Amino acid sequence: MYGYEFYIDPSRCIGCRSCLQACEECETHRGKSMINFDFIERRESITSAAYVCWHCDEPTCAQVCPADAIKKGEDGIVHSSLKPRCIACSNCVLACPFGIPKMMEPEQQMMKCDMCYDRTSAGKRPMCATVCPSGALLYAKPEVVAHTRRETPTNVFYFGSQRITTKVFMMAPAERDFLSIDVEDYMLEENDVRFATA
Amino acid sequence: MFGLRRPSASSSKEPLWREEFSIFTADERYVGRRQMTKFLTLTSLSMFAGNLWLLGRAAFSKDRPAYPAVKVATAGEIPVGGVKLFQYDNDQCILVRTGETSYAAYSQKCTHLSCAVYYAKEKNRLECPCHEGYFSILDGSVLQGPPTRPLPKVTLEQRGSDLVAVGMTGGAEPGT
Amino acid sequence: MKAPDTPLQGRGLTAMDGVITLIIILLIVQMWLLSATLAAYLAGHRSAVVPAAFVSGLIFVGCAALYGFVERIDRNARR
Repeated sequence: MYGYEFYIDPSRCIGCRSCLQACEECETHRGKSMINFDFIERRESITSAAYVCWHCDEPTCAQVCPADAIKKGEDGIVHSSLKPRCIACSNCVLACPFGIPKMMEPEQQMMKCDMCYDRTSAGKRPMCATVCPSGALLYAKPEVVAHTRRETPTNVFYFGSQRITTKVFMMAPAERDFLSIDVEDYMLEENDVRFATA
Repeated sequence: MFGLRRPSASSSKEPLWREEFSIFTADERYVGRRQMTKFLTLTSLSMFAGNLWLLGRAAFSKDRPAYPAVKVATAGEIPVGGVKLFQYDNDQCILVRTGETSYAAYSQKCTHLSCAVYYAKEKNRLECPCHEGYFSILDGSVLQGPPTRPLPKVTLEQRGSDLVAVGMTGGAEPGT
Repeated sequence: MKAPDTPLQGRGLTAMDGVITLIIILLIVQMWLLSATLAAYLAGHRSAVVPAAFVSGLIFVGCAALYGFVERIDRNARR
């Protein structure tokens, strides 16, 4: 829809998984949800986060696809791989910095969130944003978000030295212009207690 | 490597394969049209080259050697309305007696696709059976059908009682 | 190229479609010219060949100019 943007706020996620259920109901991939749902530090907390595809401006998945199967449309949506072309090599699965694409085994095709293209191209909102009770996944106009949220939406991410701009926004602390995500920060140290068994 | 280039940079010099197989559908449409335009321009070039070739042939063709004088038939050899086939200047030709003292001779190769024309007596014209091209017996001009050029006419001379072919008009070059 | 600068892209595509149509029309003329020149040459009218080659060259230059125009649009649209 024109004028609407997608906003992800993981801090609002309550783990109800309505988005997963709603996404599954899409006719084109019934039974398979395209939402990436994570539990954060499940051993210690109940924090959960739900993500959709960020639809990057220069999608890494599309750039590494050897079969030219992933396309970004004029409206900015990065689509699932084209079935006639996808060779199920999982290059995109490995390449995406956000870890979004899923390789569907029986179909041998990469599928991922396409912003409910059949809905958004017809003036409706994506399923997940429609059902999310807490507003963790939100499809709204930027003015509404600026008016109702304390956080600032950002669509600039740094992965190490790689700068990525996206179509989907993530809510970040108000003083931040971008989010920097370094894989090393999230890797466990050798002497981490979580490695202990029994 | 991928994300470091700012999307808004102007004159982004991507490798050619990235431009031709773009991940953006908008660019794909451009590529298809651009390739079509390139192809059409090359077609235009090839047609221009065709014209240049014709120009070259016309400019550098040798001076015409004289047509040989070849005896074709004797007077009275064929009846009125009859035909005789003969070879002249490497070409198959047809001689028609149109009247008591009048003869006409033409190249037998139809100017459309070189089928052999025959004389249709009742219609008094030369006809090509392949695509129904008809030529006038008087001057070889096209009466109907796909041929665009008239039939090359063989110039006949009467020398004594002999009919002699001395030249050909309307053909491209002698000796071809 | 980023997502929708849509008015510019739409205009670029329309311009390219127009250019292709123009080129096709020129090609049809050039095709006729070539076949008519050949017919005239084979019929013995050598004098027709020179102006025909000149006009054919003009048409080709026109097509090449239109192609250069398309390339320029393409480059602008990519920016």
